[in-house]
Amino acid sequence: MERLLHDTVSLNNLSEEIALRWPEQVRVNPDLQNGLCRMECEASVLTEVCSWLFSKMGYSFASLIVEEEPAEFPLRYIFYGDLENGQVHILHRILKTKATVPSISHFVHATDWHEREAEDLFGLVFEDHPRLGDFVLHEEWPEGVNPMRIDFDASKAYVHREVNPYWRPVRIVQAPGAFMMPIGPIYSDFAESAHFLLETVGEDVIRTIPRFFYKYRGVEKIAEGRTIDQVLLLAERFSGTSAFAHSLAFCQAVEEISRVEVPPRAKALRIFLAELERLRHHVASIASICGSTALAVATSQAIILEEELLRLCCALTGHRYLFGLNTPGGVVMDFTNETLRKLVDTAQGLFKKLEELKEMLRFSSSFLDRLEEVGTVSSESAVSYGLVGPVARASGINRDLRRVLPYSGYEKVEFIIPCEQEGDGYARLRILFSEAEQSENIIRQVASSLPSGPILSPPFAVPRGAALGWAEAPKGATFHWVRTAEDGRVVRYRVTPPSFTNWHGFHLAAEDFAFQDFPIIMATFGLSNAESDR
Amino acid sequence: MMETGNFLVLFLSLCGIGVILSALFRDRKNPLILAWVASLAAIVILAASGKVLLTGRLWQTELWTLPLLGTLVLKMDRLSAFFIFVTGLVFLPVSVFSAGYMPKYLGRYNLRTFSVFYHLLFGSTVLVLASGDILSFLMAWEAMSIFCYLLVNFEHEREETTRSGFLMLAMSEAGTLMAALAFLILAKASGTIDFASLKSASTDLGTMARWWVFLLAFFGFGVKAALVPGNTWLPRAHPVATGNVSALLSGIILNLGIYGIVRVNADLLPVSQIGPGLIVLVVGSVSALVGILYATTENDMKKMLAHSSIENMGIVTAGLGAGFVFMASDHPVLAGIAFIAAFYHLMNHSLYKSLLFLGAGAIDSSVGSRDMDRFGGLIKQMPWTAFFFLAGTLSIAALPPFNGFVSEWLTLQTMLQSAALSSAGIKIVFALCGAGLALTAALAVTCFVKAFSMSFLGMTRSSGARKAKEISRSMLIPMAILAISCLLLGVLPTYIIPVLDQTVSPPAQESVVDELVPSFFTLGKGDAKFGEAFVSEFHDLGAQTGKDFLPGRGLVVLHRGSEKNPVIFAMSSSYSLVMLLLLLGGTFVAVRMLTKERKVTRQPAWDGGVRRLLPEMVYTATAFSNPVRVVFNAIFRPSTVEDTKETVAKHFRTAIKNGRKEVHIVDRTIFHPVVEFMQSTSMFLGKMHSGSVNVYTAYVIVSLIAVLVVQLLF
Amino acid sequence: MSKWVLKGLQTGIKTTSYPGREELASGVSPGLPGGKKESGDEALPVISRCPTRALSQAGQQIRVDYRRCIHCFRCLRGVQGAVDWNSGYEWAASMITSDETTPKFGKVFGRSLHILFVDGGACGACLSELEQINKPFYNIHRLGFFITPTPRDSDVLLVAGPVTDHMRLPLQKAFASMPTPKRVLAVGACALSGGIFGPSFASEAGVSKSIPADIGVPGCPPPPLAIIHGLLLAVSRKPSASLTFSGSVDGRKNS
Repeated sequence: MERLLHDTVSLNNLSEEIALRWPEQVRVNPDLQNGLCRMECEASVLTEVCSWLFSKMGYSFASLIVEEEPAEFPLRYIFYGDLENGQVHILHRILKTKATVPSISHFVHATDWHEREAEDLFGLVFEDHPRLGDFVLHEEWPEGVNPMRIDFDASKAYVHREVNPYWRPVRIVQAPGAFMMPIGPIYSDFAESAHFLLETVGEDVIRTIPRFFYKYRGVEKIAEGRTIDQVLLLAERFSGTSAFAHSLAFCQAVEEISRVEVPPRAKALRIFLAELERLRHHVASIASICGSTALAVATSQAIILEEELLRLCCALTGHRYLFGLNTPGGVVMDFTNETLRKLVDTAQGLFKKLEELKEMLRFSSSFLDRLEEVGTVSSESAVSYGLVGPVARASGINRDLRRVLPYSGYEKVEFIIPCEQEGDGYARLRILFSEAEQSENIIRQVASSLPSGPILSPPFAVPRGAALGWAEAPKGATFHWVRTAEDGRVVRYRVTPPSFTNWHGFHLAAEDFAFQDFPIIMATFGLSNAESDR
Repeated sequence: MMETGNFLVLFLSLCGIGVILSALFRDRKNPLILAWVASLAAIVILAASGKVLLTGRLWQTELWTLPLLGTLVLKMDRLSAFFIFVTGLVFLPVSVFSAGYMPKYLGRYNLRTFSVFYHLLFGSTVLVLASGDILSFLMAWEAMSIFCYLLVNFEHEREETTRSGFLMLAMSEAGTLMAALAFLILAKASGTIDFASLKSASTDLGTMARWWVFLLAFFGFGVKAALVPGNTWLPRAHPVATGNVSALLSGIILNLGIYGIVRVNADLLPVSQIGPGLIVLVVGSVSALVGILYATTENDMKKMLAHSSIENMGIVTAGLGAGFVFMASDHPVLAGIAFIAAFYHLMNHSLYKSLLFLGAGAIDSSVGSRDMDRFGGLIKQMPWTAFFFLAGTLSIAALPPFNGFVSEWLTLQTMLQSAALSSAGIKIVFALCGAGLALTAALAVTCFVKAFSMSFLGMTRSSGARKAKEISRSMLIPMAILAISCLLLGVLPTYIIPVLDQTVSPPAQESVVDELVPSFFTLGKGDAKFGEAFVSEFHDLGAQTGKDFLPGRGLVVLHRGSEKNPVIFAMSSSYSLVMLLLLLGGTFVAVRMLTKERKVTRQPAWDGGVRRLLPEMVYTATAFSNPVRVVFNAIFRPSTVEDTKETVAKHFRTAIKNGRKEVHIVDRTIFHPVVEFMQSTSMFLGKMHSGSVNVYTAYVIVSLIAVLVVQLLF
Repeated sequence: MSKWVLKGLQTGIKTTSYPGREELASGVSPGLPGGKKESGDEALPVISRCPTRALSQAGQQIRVDYRRCIHCFRCLRGVQGAVDWNSGYEWAASMITSDETTPKFGKVFGRSLHILFVDGGACGACLSELEQINKPFYNIHRLGFFITPTPRDSDVLLVAGPVTDHMRLPLQKAFASMPTPKRVLAVGACALSGGIFGPSFASEAGVSKSIPADIGVPGCPPPPLAIIHGLLLAVSRKPSASLTFSGSVDGRKNS
């Protein structure tokens, strides 16, 4: 990924600034060519540096990547800013004998869940983190067993487990007569498996306490030792509704490691298919919001559009959810320009119907009543929790990876990033409609100006290395970190999906609300447990 | 069959024997003595009052004649006999219950004194009801108040008990004082103290005096009957009293207040204007609503039952008020129906409330707590208690075929009869009060669904509930007796109503039996009152069904309208019981037959797939009634005591603490302002106490001069 | 409010006529690989490309184990001797291996069936397809099938996902809470064989490891019409597909 020279001016300043503030403890290694600043940080100033980057310099937190080497755990904190600020990778090594890290979640709250996950899966202790334990592994896993460790055999079930009879859920509300209403893991008609405890004194729900990872399939662990192609399949399928975006992020990581140039036609096709997926995904989210408010006709209208888009995708590519199209180096299938233009016309027709639906919803006051001022997430909370995607953009955070970390040729495409300020359910719905409009716009642009040429780079071998790949999935920013060995097999695969980041902030919207609004708040967030739990 | 007077003598001697034996025997044997002697006494008094009720022969005897004051008279007319009968009905099972219940206080408190006071209370209660002149009434009344206080104060080492008992005594005395004043005004008019002459002389009283007598008697006795605004003592007294004393308190003592109201306002000085009647009606309805609102949101089981007693007394009073208004508006038949409704409700309340209080006492002794948030799932450990408690719950929630349904139906029907009145203003008042009573009935169902389900159904919520065991048979049998009586009184209204009618006819001056339970159902032809056409309409509806094999008449009716256009309201709890049994039995048999070949498996309740449903995840009693608290927020006005949110490291919310405090609306609007006013006045007047002797001397001189001046001038 | 009614009427009927008539619209199904008559040498590269070992050699044919097919298209695209590709969507088949006869659903269930769905760790694609069956294009209500959220009222249990470790107990509880007669439909490759996720420390190799599964619907994800075919098969309104789910799915597939 190349950067233009003027983008790196601020990044340069950043390196100098850091070298000035913490000359001893931080070793800076800027990589301005790639818009990246690597640094290695000591434990004593880790919190300071991270909070300075986050609060003062306005960087967003992307991911915490924990790896295991024979004698130590290298931890990578990934931050990114706007176009001119690039990415910052902070490396911090912990010796295995010590295995404690200062927790930065007090200052960069977005790292809260990353640290809890690392504690559960690796056994690292984050000092001063007030709530470690019982996150990924539920109460029947004994302490001290950490699946992501190298010595853990992931191929078969771990048998030495006992349910802790004294386990109790965390309670936050202390009021006479307060109790926790349990929801799930099996609850609504087609809901994903997740457990919520709604703390209430009978009328309003005061607080939501979620328990996730019922769908934990250990994707990061089972990827270890597999070939790139097999891990590509994992990347595609751990979240089927955003399959193309995740496979795109993975492929870009592998292409970065292998220093492979993707042909321009392939890049354009990738944009086309990614936006097609985004359009379909947003229509499905809109349908789900209408369904949660029980506005049956609107739901049916949106679902009809979704099914027509699915059939469109299948007719074009052979699979309704665009599986099996991406591969490191390009795409697998080519389409004639004629085919693409016809598809664009059909999509345009579908989009017009979506616009009609939007207009009708705008004037349905009973529908808007259930969305306006319901499930509000304030801007400050959104920033401190590091929310991404349409949820964040509805609360005033205007960051979109297609703009701030452009990939796959997005810098050549003209489009707007819609942003709202209210942060309530209606704002999120409006964002979905606006982004769908932008996606349709991009599809039209790309189809009319598709460059010719090959769709796949010449075959290449994947060397040893590590890189970060990213994409703006329909639900938000996703980051895939891949590390390969000499034989091209994957040694470490770390995925930070947007649902993981946003489920963390879900309880902000689900506080002090009437119980009937719970499904509506969930629908407006539009998150996926499969994506979050991996 | 002995004479009534002999029965009474036997009763009083049994009470005396009870006192002596209780004083003699040791603590261990005392509950048994109490049970035996008191039950025997109860049976005797049931016989005595039953005789008067059924035969109608009044009984009277003169005791000693005191100089300057008059003759002390004991009298039992139908009104007294009815109340005495209800007293006996409640005392009997409660005494039997005490045998198994009191031993839990062994070693901690003196059971001898309990038994002594118990017998004395029994005796004085009957004497109150059987007295025929002011002096004996007031003496027995005071004795009853004091023994009641002593019994409520039984666990005197707890601070809460002494405070509540004292409040009860103080308010009771205040009410007694007012009632005594009322009696004195009456006595002044007639010059004698016995009720008969009071009654005849009362017709000469002027309007002003009538109003004073009414207000003093109504509000004075209203304190005893726990009507708003005199209800503050009841919710405090019940939680501190023992289980059997609570049953007596609600089942008998509250009735005495109603007895006083009826005696003065319907017998001695019948209400002749509409004003007093309306006041009674409104106070009753307000009591009912306030009582049930606080009952629904209360978690302490005995406090909840106390508030519910306030509600029921309110309903009785509302019925009485309606009756007074009808009487003053020259509708004696409707007045009679109203009084019958009120008395029926009174009797029902005594029965089902004692049943519920005995149940609460049983749970308390088994689980060790009164807080419904700590119960749950008791039906598995205490199935019989649950069963009888359920009967009580169904009765109080006014569901057929139990007794609550009959009296609630009659009361609400009475409210509807206000269409017969002429004045629009009165009709509006009736409509509002009727609506209030209907709301009360709905809230009562909510309240008791919560009471039963939170205590007996669902998951056990505390270790005490897990360890609870079924109570002994000596405690179950009285509950069974009460439950069966509730059912009988619900199923046989057509036999009860004629008896009540005879009780009620003196005040109402007309017999209404034919209105409610007409005889033509079984006769098949018309009579003087109901024409042939009218009767045949009824027969077309099927009123003659089963007249050959169904015993007695099953329908209770109310009819209005003209001969040609009758409007009939009818209810039959008797037939509904029959239908209920047929349908239940039939369904049971059908299900058994249809599922003979199917496999039956048992699984725990579906909980969404959680590993284990914990007590934290189950609905609490507070949460169940919270919507009521929120909807009626203007009445409850809770004040926030604590509202803190604890956070660690700026982002991790670790605790949200909410605490709320509520002050009862009557306290808030009436008592606290009055008390504050009196305190501030006293503070102001306290400035008179300067401490200097000179000032005090000046006060003496000034008052001396003032007296002389007054004496000279007037 | 009337504008919504008018809109609905304007849109008309979108529902498919399946099972009355075959659904011929394009894009309703991704199709499945068919076997192929191929002699030994040319078949091997194709067979070895399959990441889940769904293809195997059977004499002169390439045989497909549909439980393992994850629709990756490796056997179809960019390779010599690609497999045949079958369109269509009637893919449901019985999974009962032994001879024991379970009590059949009576005729009454054919027109009134209640379905419970349990998510055993499925990715969003199977869920999205399942949501479609209750919606205008496919509308199972016209067939008398209804979705219910509680096992106490349900006759058929649909399971998608490899059954993750944490969902094993809830799934077993749900199955136990269902009254007889009951059927289990395993929807998707993950539910049939664990897909690419199982077996591992966190996932099983399909539903049958936790509860007995009766009917399987292969595909990744199976299109809504295939799922409907599965439901119709459960109430014997449609015959089984001629796919067989033979042999065990054990053994680590992904080396």
